[in-house]
Amino acid sequence: MHIPDGYLSPQTYIPLYGVFAAAVAVAVKKVKKEVSARDIPYLGMAAAFSFIIMMFNLPIPGGTTGHAVGSAVIAILFGPWAAVVAVSVALIIQALIFGDGGITAIGANCFNMAVFMPFTAYYLFRLFSFSSARKGRVFFAAFISGYLSLVMAAVLTGIEFGIQPLIASSSDGKALYCPYDLKIAVPAMAIEHILLFGIVEGLITLIIIRYFLRNEPGLIYAFRKGGKIENK
Amino acid sequence: MENKIPPYLIRIAYDQYNPAEIKRAKLSFLDKTIINSSKAVKSIYLQAENSARDNFIQEINPKVKFILLIYMSVVVSIVNNPVTQILISAFIFLSYIIARLNIFEVYKKIFLLVFVFGFLAILPASLNVITPGKIVFNIIKFNKPSHFLIYNIPQNIGFTTNGIQVVSLIFLRVLNSVAFALLVVFTTPFPTFIKSFKMIGVPDTFLMILSLAYKYIFILSRTIEETYFAFKSRLSGNIKNSNIRRLIGGRIFFIFKRSMIIYQDTYHAMVSRGYCGKVVLHSQNHFTLKDVIVLVIIVISGIVFILL
Repeated sequence: MHIPDGYLSPQTYIPLYGVFAAAVAVAVKKVKKEVSARDIPYLGMAAAFSFIIMMFNLPIPGGTTGHAVGSAVIAILFGPWAAVVAVSVALIIQALIFGDGGITAIGANCFNMAVFMPFTAYYLFRLFSFSSARKGRVFFAAFISGYLSLVMAAVLTGIEFGIQPLIASSSDGKALYCPYDLKIAVPAMAIEHILLFGIVEGLITLIIIRYFLRNEPGLIYAFRKGGKIENK
Repeated sequence: MENKIPPYLIRIAYDQYNPAEIKRAKLSFLDKTIINSSKAVKSIYLQAENSARDNFIQEINPKVKFILLIYMSVVVSIVNNPVTQILISAFIFLSYIIARLNIFEVYKKIFLLVFVFGFLAILPASLNVITPGKIVFNIIKFNKPSHFLIYNIPQNIGFTTNGIQVVSLIFLRVLNSVAFALLVVFTTPFPTFIKSFKMIGVPDTFLMILSLAYKYIFILSRTIEETYFAFKSRLSGNIKNSNIRRLIGGRIFFIFKRSMIIYQDTYHAMVSRGYCGKVVLHSQNHFTLKDVIVLVIIVISGIVFILL
């Protein structure tokens, strides 16, 4: 999911930087309005929490492991705007210190994983959980929001890759950036996330939300914002 | 004679269980996570240690380095000639020598990253299925061309000249981008470096969150490592998969609670130092003649690379 440098053309990464910058500007304003001054360190903590979640590997069939992006669980726990700030910060630190994701691709990575994914996950969670107070329904909503949001973000990444041969090729038709067109990039990104990483993201979201629900449901933002849950 | 060895010493060791047979799993993936966290912390240590050295590149103003990081990232992304990319690689390598970094260690890290994203992921693009052109090395020959779903499969599949050029270009581009970014990061203290983001209008609040997150990551990584090994030292026998899931949930919940305590402590510490909700970050670095010279040299080099 982390796009490295060299895969996206300036025609793609510059507009995505713009969209990301606008989203962060709005997110910072929204979060400042929503939380008090004392909660600025809270967002730092959310970012560190997001970073750490990305480090938790889960065993998957075939003897390998996968890790969650964590955007879904952060959006459900902290709210989507806080997730925009938190996951962006985590991704920027990853790109700068660990070389995970490119410098020119920070805008695209943050747009996919820190803007698109948290909002998708948050509203999917609300859609699937709020009509019922049953815990089973909430667990299902947690899994499906994590799963679908990652798969959709992966498809979006696939589209960003797939349009490169269309918008940035040399005069003799050679690809200058990502050489895979839409019919290769989109299925490649979608299939591995539908079959593998989406399930990991869904499971991580489910495991964490279930634990919070059992121990301190009041900490979950999605429930503070009008959700209801039966206490058994 | 009666066996006086205590039972816990006779019991089969945890590592000798076969998880596949008893449908239970070891905690190896958690070990990997903890090792990754430790590596991350070590990496930050490495960066902090190197960036603190007195050296030509380390002494350049962080703002200049930030401008150059963006500038060179753009230059690398728009240069489409593999030969020019090789020249940029040489330029960056020379900068590493000047910075007196541990070149072997740094390039090991760079090549590890680049091998996956800049080579393995892009290698299929060298085949004529993706990049049409003259085949220079044949791999498979079918009886006739075929069609599968939306894909056309040619009679011969092999590496093409155009494909090899595309893969070389992208490999070098990823290599140069990662190498230059790590050069800047390894020669600049991160908290100082992020203050330079103000130059492009990043809000102070965002930078403060970034700065706090950087410190929290360090603290949390250590906390996780310590608590995990404390837990593991008390573990006997293997553990059910369901318990592993509960354990992960519990660990993450613990991290969350621990983080909340840290954040509350941080807030109180900030209030005691005069924090009243308004975030203003002050930058004290001034440009020197050396900074200007470095800036001009690299900007001119970048233009030359683009024009070549």
